[in-house]
Amino acid sequence: MSKKLVKCEINNQEMEVPEGTSIIEAFKKLDQPIAHYCWHPGLSVAGVCRLCMVDIEGIPKLQIACNTEIKEGMKISNQSEKVKEAVKWGLEFHLINHPLDCPICDQAGECELQEQYMHFGQYSPNMAERKVKKRKVVDLGSKIVLDTERCILCSRCVRFTDEVSKTQELGIFNRGDKSEIGIFKDKPLENEYAVNTVDICPVGALTSKDFRFRQRVWYLKTADSICTGCSTGCNIKIDYNEEGLFRVQPRYNKEVNGYWMCDKGREVYSLPNKEGRLLEAKVPSSYSFDKADSLSSSREARPSRTGGNPASSLKVLKKIKDLFVKKEDSGSALILTAQYTVEEYEDLVSFFIKYLGTQQDIYYWRNNPESFDDFDGLLLRGDKNPNTKGLMEVLTSQGAIHSWESLQNRLEQKEIKVLWVAGPENQKVYPDIKEKINTFESYCDNIIWWTAHPLPDSQKIWQVPTKTFFEKEGTFINQSGQAQKVKAIHQLVPSALSLSESVTLLKGEELKKPEPPFLVTPMKTNHFTYKKKVL
Amino acid sequence: MSRVRRKNRSVVWYLPPIFKGLLFTFKKMLTNLSGKNKMLTLNYPEEHYSYGPRFKGNHILTVKKDGSLRCTACMLCATNCPANCIKIIASEHDSPEVEKYPIAYEIDILRCVFCGFCEEACPVDAIRMGPEWQAAGLNGENFIYDIKYLSKRDSLKEGVLSRVDDKERNKAGI
Repeated sequence: MSKKLVKCEINNQEMEVPEGTSIIEAFKKLDQPIAHYCWHPGLSVAGVCRLCMVDIEGIPKLQIACNTEIKEGMKISNQSEKVKEAVKWGLEFHLINHPLDCPICDQAGECELQEQYMHFGQYSPNMAERKVKKRKVVDLGSKIVLDTERCILCSRCVRFTDEVSKTQELGIFNRGDKSEIGIFKDKPLENEYAVNTVDICPVGALTSKDFRFRQRVWYLKTADSICTGCSTGCNIKIDYNEEGLFRVQPRYNKEVNGYWMCDKGREVYSLPNKEGRLLEAKVPSSYSFDKADSLSSSREARPSRTGGNPASSLKVLKKIKDLFVKKEDSGSALILTAQYTVEEYEDLVSFFIKYLGTQQDIYYWRNNPESFDDFDGLLLRGDKNPNTKGLMEVLTSQGAIHSWESLQNRLEQKEIKVLWVAGPENQKVYPDIKEKINTFESYCDNIIWWTAHPLPDSQKIWQVPTKTFFEKEGTFINQSGQAQKVKAIHQLVPSALSLSESVTLLKGEELKKPEPPFLVTPMKTNHFTYKKKVL
Repeated sequence: MSRVRRKNRSVVWYLPPIFKGLLFTFKKMLTNLSGKNKMLTLNYPEEHYSYGPRFKGNHILTVKKDGSLRCTACMLCATNCPANCIKIIASEHDSPEVEKYPIAYEIDILRCVFCGFCEEACPVDAIRMGPEWQAAGLNGENFIYDIKYLSKRDSLKEGVLSRVDDKERNKAGI
């Protein structure tokens, strides 16, 4: 049933909206600027900030746009002097008790209060009274710190815990200028979605402990990506610079995650970071290279400034090709985890069937089978892989799904001589990884393991560094069957290769010439030198 | 090559100014030999010229009354620095009255252009450009100034007191 459409006019632009649309939603649809703090598209309407004032023809007083529905023939504008005056004074009231500590506030640079102040701000405060001092650096739990002085009481966070996470930890206490956000005694803000309150906080009142003080936001660049934390596949924005990744924030996608993401998913930012990555390929400690092609002999193999030896994985893969890629004495098996892209699976599986073994030799390593189908009703799923559906599709199309038990049997009978493992990118969600490594090592002599993070040193494992979701292009298919693309944003580990690139090398072909190095645009444009004539 | 032939013979009169100049030089030499105190040059490095307090030389990090660093690690100086020579690592402070403070503050003095933008950007008078201007060193490491050098080097003794005080500001209701 489609809703009736009503006509209206916004800032002299005519438009049609479904009945029941609020004025602020229509403004957002038209991309017209409108000041607001308390209204958030994912939350209910509170109408407390009184900043989204609009002038409606025929109504003598200004109305708030968030709580007024559009009626047939309404003529709405927020360009008049009257509206500007109202917003200006509204802002002045918000700033009465707001400490102007922008330099030490972590929100500076992405603060809505700052933005509005630049547009409508009164540049000399007319308030003669002293500012009310409130609590600072209040610990709300293991993830969040609250500064009640900076809070402008928009109540977004309170509504979030009421309506979205439904845990009701936060509330507004006291009255008048003494009122402040707080938690109840012995009930810290510990739900799985708590950090969303930091994202929706328009000022720097709520800050995440993980990101607090680590970087000023204007030093960071933002890129779009997909969360690889679980099979929901939330759309995310990644904030990063040359040093690495700093945080992850949700990006709106109506079908997948709405405006939110879980706190577990926010940890994926640490996966591509250089600390803890496998920086160069590793050969088994039992294996010694000939002098001629040892890893460190040639000149190009010297460790680069960024850490790791970029040529090592090429050399090791060449060696692996010479040693193990031959169809005759079969005995190869391929184990796949659901943490790679569809394109990589297609390349690897078709390569394996063509050169190494048959469909019967391909196995799927499923993590935590007990909690695999869990779902908390909002976003968080028990399947901690981004691409289980994609892997299944590739395997069914190749006719290659086999139970783990048959692999176990074959391992125990020592039928398998070479084991190819596309290991998990996120090892934390594979609690059985140590146990599996031990089993593989005890039954099989040669293991080739693609991994982004180092495994314990071993006598039998060849480790090939892989790219993480931040560094490669590809498709992830989430639990509901939506295919979502990730882009290659910035390569942090020069030696890392995607599975497809490894396959190209194993076939004996040359890699495509690397694209020109990522253009590092200057992080900051210095206002004083950049806009010479303005200053 | 073409030669300019001037018809005017008066060009020969370049000689008198030369002798005039030489006369001036010898006069100065004789006066300097007789009265050393009136000499205009200095015997550097034994003698130093000291500039006024407004000279923009080597940086100083000021301190609070209790001797701790005034800097709040807001990174405005680093942002404003056109030479990109300031590196700050911020950290959480134990006391809730101090929002954050720098655990590392490094200035690569070889990259610094002494423009004074850091001093200008600082909201709390934490960084100043002092009157010291000699920055000679024996190896490369000496040219990255750290917190200890910037705030408590020998010439600064107990540190330079900042003009901005949190407690006074609190009293004033800011």
